[in-house]
Amino acid sequence: MSHTFAMKNPFVVDELRVADGPSVPITKILIADDNNTDRLLLKAILCQQGHEVFVAKDGHEAIEVFREMQPDLVLLDVLMPNVDGFEAAEKIRQLAGEAFIPIIFLTSLQSTDALVRCLDAGGDDFLPKPYNSVVLKAKLDAFIRMGEMHRTMQRQRDLIAIHNERLLREQEIAKRVFDKVAHSGCLNADNIRYLLSPIAIFNGDVALAGVSPAGNLMVLLGDFTGHGLDAAIGAMPLAQTFYSMLEKGFSLQDILREINEKLYDVLPVDVFCCAIVADIDFSNGVMQIWNGGLPDGVLYRSFDGKSIPLTSQHIPFGIRNTAHFDDSVATFEVQPDDRLFLWSDGIQEATNNQSEMFGEERLLKIFEKNTDPEQLFDEVNEAVAEFISDEAVSDDVSIVEVKIVAPIDFHADRPDFIGSNPAGPRDWSLKYELRPQTLSNFDPLPMLLYVLRQVPYLRNFGGQIFTVLTELYTNALEHGVLQLNSSLKNSTAGFDHYYQLREQRLLHLQDGTIGIQLDYKGTGNGGRLKVTIEDSGEGFDYKNLENGLSGDVPYAGRGINLMRSICHSIEYLGSGNVVCASFVWGDS
Amino acid sequence: MSISSSLSTDGQELQINIEGRFDFNVHSSFRRAYEEPGNEVGSYIVDMTAASYLDSSALGMLLLLRDYAGGDSASITIVHCNDDIKKIFAISNFEQLFDIK
Amino acid sequence: MNAPQPSLNYVALKEVQGVMGDDFPLLVEVFFTDSVKLLTAIQSALDEGNTDSLRWAAHSFKGSAGNMSATALAALCHELEGLASSGTIVGGGHLMTQLVDEYERVKSALEDI
Repeated sequence: MSHTFAMKNPFVVDELRVADGPSVPITKILIADDNNTDRLLLKAILCQQGHEVFVAKDGHEAIEVFREMQPDLVLLDVLMPNVDGFEAAEKIRQLAGEAFIPIIFLTSLQSTDALVRCLDAGGDDFLPKPYNSVVLKAKLDAFIRMGEMHRTMQRQRDLIAIHNERLLREQEIAKRVFDKVAHSGCLNADNIRYLLSPIAIFNGDVALAGVSPAGNLMVLLGDFTGHGLDAAIGAMPLAQTFYSMLEKGFSLQDILREINEKLYDVLPVDVFCCAIVADIDFSNGVMQIWNGGLPDGVLYRSFDGKSIPLTSQHIPFGIRNTAHFDDSVATFEVQPDDRLFLWSDGIQEATNNQSEMFGEERLLKIFEKNTDPEQLFDEVNEAVAEFISDEAVSDDVSIVEVKIVAPIDFHADRPDFIGSNPAGPRDWSLKYELRPQTLSNFDPLPMLLYVLRQVPYLRNFGGQIFTVLTELYTNALEHGVLQLNSSLKNSTAGFDHYYQLREQRLLHLQDGTIGIQLDYKGTGNGGRLKVTIEDSGEGFDYKNLENGLSGDVPYAGRGINLMRSICHSIEYLGSGNVVCASFVWGDS
Repeated sequence: MSISSSLSTDGQELQINIEGRFDFNVHSSFRRAYEEPGNEVGSYIVDMTAASYLDSSALGMLLLLRDYAGGDSASITIVHCNDDIKKIFAISNFEQLFDIK
Repeated sequence: MNAPQPSLNYVALKEVQGVMGDDFPLLVEVFFTDSVKLLTAIQSALDEGNTDSLRWAAHSFKGSAGNMSATALAALCHELEGLASSGTIVGGGHLMTQLVDEYERVKSALEDI
């Protein structure tokens, strides 16, 4: 579904095409000659040729008449009393300014010197006496044609100047809007470093970063084809979708799908957005990556110094519709001190004086030779700058580095947990059952989060509740319904295997349900929220949890202790396939 | 940088040859090449034998051709790409949209 | 003097008549008036010995004579102009006489049209 519509710019195109203008007006000609006979005859000749004629008897009068009648062409006798032809010509030139006013000297002077003087005095031509109508007509026609061309060029020049100015203004506005919408989010967090080309908006680079309600960091580096306004147009729906969905707790895949759909709708057929999107869960040490069309990103692993390439698996955003969009992600295990590097193709394509490109090999060499990972970011930038040396070309580099840290060390503000209704619902319960098809395709968390947001008291606890909700739901889905064993994740091979299995089983899910129930009761100054999640799985031996045993504990995550620190109480029921978490606050 | 094309005798297949840099400068000539023969053409071959370079605007132009040729049902084969060009198609995963040889 | 040259170039004059149309008599009148003024000016210049005024008057008369297709008259003016340009009036009187005679002939020729 791509729309084509003509941009109507009423000022430029139409006028430039109408450069020939309306039919040429009658030429106004001024003649100045002190000889009455000559003047009379010349006027008659010119009138007969269809021109409008003004007369003057001497140089002085010629100047006055010129000022008043603004003729298009001037015929001056040379020898006149009271300001001669040469002086009059000089003055008339001054008065004419930028306008194209041919001056033709009338003269029966025959010496070459005299004629040269005419041209030196600013004359464009001379007409000998006695007057020859044919010669005169030929000269006049030539000058009139030149005049028209001159005027046309001036008109076009002026229109172009106006158009350019408008273009510059529009670009300024685009930049301002772009800066507001595609704001940097949390790119300024301590563990993030980035360099965005100063002409980013004009070469189509976008960098976004934000935190989900559960505390995940999501980063997006995008590169639109096209420049200037083309890129700005795409960047805005991209940023708006990214930030608003992230803040509502949507998953990476939901966000990817929505971004693609928006861009597919908005962008012309030949404009698209190459991007890498990363979702980092610091608590669980899991990173998910989607790369559509950007060169390999790098996951630098601190424990062995190896760089894992994050290759492009997908076509870029905005090319195909939702039905053909592939939202599958690559999943990696990450630890504190690992580093994620993302860059646009500006680096590989950076060219030096010999028209060589920086290329991928040079980039990888930097990683190989590096001894202090903290310096990698700077080393890359320095290498590129040195390679290019010519400043004019260097502006195209955009690069983002995210250092994986322990959750405690991740300082970025979580989204404001603001609901719309100050009063809010005070006594309610919500039950929701998800069946196999829904479990495969739908993430219920954003919707639940939306519901919880309507309660003003949850303002202070929203993030934590959401974290717990996410954990419990994930466990119910992965352990209860998909029957995955989280101890698989303890080895690197097992980690990959786990996520592959997860994806497969989710895709082919035929049986299984998850029921979610929320009970809320608000009092004067506080309230109580009970979250019950029941899955159709076998459960586990929860009685042994008390003994601090690991083994078949369904918690892939933060551990029951953390949960206990957030919740007022948390208990397992049934065969362990029902979990009930309560939150209490205020004086209820 | 220039574009030339030839239509098969039965008018069913159009071959477009790219010479030199495939970038924004050939925008209009590339378009003319596939628009001129009209809608009767059933399949397209884009020959990159003499192409030295390809950038994102070229990818855009190929997408325009694909759209013109019927979108998902278009039959477009891109042949004789050098390694650099192959790499670009690989990164953007365009083999999901075009038959690339 | 040899066989008298025609005072007016009738072929060229025809064009002037074509351009002026019904106003041709008016042009002739203006020429007569102008010519009297200019002849007077030339005479004064000669009497005063003023080469500048002589030059200007001769030059101007040359122009209108030429435009009226009075080639011989224009030629005489040209000689007078040349004289004045070289800074002398010697021989001017003689030329002036010829000038007046030629003018009379031109005048009759024009009146006959």
